[in-house]
This record gives sequence, C-alpha cells and structure tokens, in this order.
Amino acid sequence: MADVLLVDDDKHFLEATAELLGLLGHSVKAVDSVAEARELIGRYQFTHMILDLILPDGSGLHLLEALPAKSETKVTLITGHPSVKSIVKNLYGSNVSYLIKPIDLSQLQSLFVDHQPIVGVNNSDIPLHFNFLVGESEPMQHLYEMIERVALTKANVLLLGESGVGKEMVAAAIHYASKVDGEFIATNCGAFSRELINSELFGHEKGAFTGATHRKIGVFEQANKGTLFLDEITEMPLDLQPNLLRVLETKKVTRLGGITPIDVEGRIVSATNRTELDIAEQNRLREDLYFRLAVFPIHIPPLRTRKSDIPLLVRYFLAIFNQQYDSNIGISEQSLQKLIDYDWPGNVRELRHAVHRAFIMADPHQKLIVLPDDLTSPFSKINQQHAAGIAVGKTVEEVEKELIEITLQHFDGDKKQTADMLGISLKTLYNRLNSYADA
Amino acid sequence: MSDTETHRLLHDLRNPLNSISINAELGKLTLERTGDIQRAIRIFEIILNECRNCSNKLDEVKTSSSKFGNE
Repeated sequence: MADVLLVDDDKHFLEATAELLGLLGHSVKAVDSVAEARELIGRYQFTHMILDLILPDGSGLHLLEALPAKSETKVTLITGHPSVKSIVKNLYGSNVSYLIKPIDLSQLQSLFVDHQPIVGVNNSDIPLHFNFLVGESEPMQHLYEMIERVALTKANVLLLGESGVGKEMVAAAIHYASKVDGEFIATNCGAFSRELINSELFGHEKGAFTGATHRKIGVFEQANKGTLFLDEITEMPLDLQPNLLRVLETKKVTRLGGITPIDVEGRIVSATNRTELDIAEQNRLREDLYFRLAVFPIHIPPLRTRKSDIPLLVRYFLAIFNQQYDSNIGISEQSLQKLIDYDWPGNVRELRHAVHRAFIMADPHQKLIVLPDDLTSPFSKINQQHAAGIAVGKTVEEVEKELIEITLQHFDGDKKQTADMLGISLKTLYNRLNSYADA
Repeated sequence: MSDTETHRLLHDLRNPLNSISINAELGKLTLERTGDIQRAIRIFEIILNECRNCSNKLDEVKTSSSKFGNE
C-alpha cells in the first residue's frame, strides 16, 4: 500500500480524495499549502505525491525541488488543462504523471498500478503478451497457452517457479487476460507477522484490537470481482491457514471484530518458489487448502531454459531505463553474448538488476552499457563462502550477512525458520535481505 | 466576454466539477465498502452544494454576456 502526500487547496476535493485513498487502503497525508507540504517532505518518505499545480502560497512545482535527489517518489500533477502536460514534461522529464480535472476513481487508481510505467514505455518494438510478459521461446509459448485457457475459467491458480521468474507478472497477466471488472491486488503472505496477517487478508473494524483506530478493508474485499495475488503462500503459518480455507469455501469474509459476513468473489492466484514435492513433504500447506488453491497449477520456466529470450528481455529493460532516465543507451554484441552465456540463478529479476547496474555504469560517449567482469551475484557465491566463516579483518556486517545467507540456504530459503534460528523477527530478516538486494 | 474571462470561467467551473466527481466516487465506495449511510448523506450534501456552485457560476456568465450584448 502506498504512502501518499496529497496537496490541494480545494477543501472538498482534498478531504474527499484523502478519504477515498484511505478506503482503497493507502496511507494519506493531506495538506493545502506548499509550506505544509514542504515540512512533511522533510519528515516522511512518500511513495506518491499528488499535487495541485497552483496553490495559495506558490506552485506545486516548487515541491519537486524539495524532494531529495534521485527520489523514487512518484509525482502526479493535478491540472485543469492537458496543455500543461507538455510544458512540465520539458522541465522535469517524463517521470511525472498527470490527472486532468475532473478526476474519477479509475484515474486515481491508475496511479497505484505498479506495472503501469512498464506498460507505458512499450513504445519499443517488443511485443508484450497479456500486457506484461516478454518472450517468444517455446516454454513461454506454452505458458501463454496456459494463461489463455485459465483466463476463460474462474479456477484458482497456483504459480510455481524459482525466485525471480516473474510470478507477480504472470499473475498480473492472468488478471489482464481474464478481463474482469475488479482490481488486481497483490500481497505477500511471508511479509506479515502472525498478528497482522488476518487483518491484512480479511480487514478489521474500528476498535477490533488495540491500535485499530480505523476500519481497514482486507485484500479479499479489495480484490472483489478481480484477482487476488497471494505471494509466498507457503510461508503462511499452518495454524492460520484454516481461516483462508473458510473464505475460499464460503466465498464470504468477516472483518476482524465485525459481525456481518461480506460476499467476495474473484480469482485467487497464489505463488510459491517451493516445488510441489517440497510443499507436500515439508507440510507447508494444508492438503485441503492446497487443492482449493491449486485447481490450475502453472509452472513458470526459469530463465536458463529460455535463453533465446534474453536478447528480447535486455532490449525491453533498456527501453524502460532509457525512458526513465531520458537517455539512449544500447548494448554491444559482445556484452549481449556475455549475458546469454550466464546462467541466471536469480532469473529475470537478476537479469533486470544486472542490466540496470550496467546501464548506470554506461559509457556516456559510446552510449553502451558496461557489464562488470563477474556477473555472479553474492547469493550464487554462498557455496564457495560457506567454509569462510569468521576471520579477523571482517566487519560485523559482513559476518552477519554471511550468517543470514548460510542459514537461509540451510532452510532452503524458508524465511520463517531462518528468522527463528537466528533469533530475529521475520520483519528484520526481510529488511536485511532487502538492504543486501539494494546494495 | 473576453478570452481571459472565458478562461477564468472555465477554470472556476472545473474545480467544483472536480469536487463533484471525486465526492461521487467517494459516496459510491463508502456505500459499497462501509455501508455508512450517515457519511454518504453528508457526501451527497457536498455534491449538491457544488452543483449549486456551478449553477451560480453559469448564472454569472448569463448576466455578464447579456450585459455585453446590451452594449
């Protein structure tokens, strides 16, 4: 869910939009002047900023300067006139989007669709399948056929595939192909504490528990008549799974602290990076839940089995980065071959990161990306480092990172068990892993 | 009416229209998601108020254009 800063001097619009975004599950701070907004920017980090262009104490554009350099905040300007678009685009590049008054719900919602920029930049000649997927290889053709078939049904889908193969992309593609009325809502079952997971899934009423100051709409309700994507479903604690099962069976949810059951319909697309055998052997999912979720299992191929797609993917990612950074960087035959030859244990996600890194390192004169000598990621080096252990000269951070990686590997990527063994919370583990991925 | 005035009028009309649009969406979603009828009634009052606002603005045009017409 997004952290939004909303700045507009029209009181009725400001209050209604803040409430509307709140109902959609976003956290909103709403102010009516440049000065107040500037203060908030200093104190909080926002994922989205929605600004009126003309405010009593200055222009909303002044706030763009208040953002830290290389901020990832998505900026949207509210304007009465489409012509403003072209003027501002010249000033601030294409990373700013626009809402033209009068604004409706679908316009607002489009700001929070994560993959929209990716779709938006597809002015390259690379075809997107179901609006999200890139690749023409045989394994992908097979995948497209499966998506096409399941889109015609209401069956729940279980996506299986290694980390980084693009499970959320496939889920979004299924949603797109299904042409349903409702929304696509994605959530990660491994990212919530035991206490919060029920509230995230089913919502809660005001006062349901300490700290429940507002009513919250759960993801099941948000995805009504649409598609609910439950990532890392196998990380959900076993004893909480019956709650999920009951919703799937009755097609009704009751918010925590609530009385009235609410009808929900739609497709559940769940995902895991464990194999079916793992799930059964290690008892990661209750059998009854497994059969409800995996009516239609789809295996997503790892990148190393579809190497012929690598050139397409690389060109596609370059098109995105070129659009984002307003530049024109390409790739040499030699670099491309190097990317094709590599094994990509982290799959498309790793490829995307590698291209992004190389894009940042690009030679400005030759306008070509520059790959590092060694493509292997720290995660694929764990095996070699295993024997390394503690040695004088290492920093605490290095040892900590190594310990986390080894433990994670020991438990086959099971974050819950890893966190338990390390004696840290699951949230801390995720924070650490994210910081390694960002580094 | 001069161009500047037309421009100002368009701007003045767009703001209440914008508020009507977003409040209507909010009313719809409030009823769908929370069923809070009291809240919905207050939202509809805002919408009606903004409609009156628009109407007043349009009356202003009528008066000013007939004024211009007389000249």
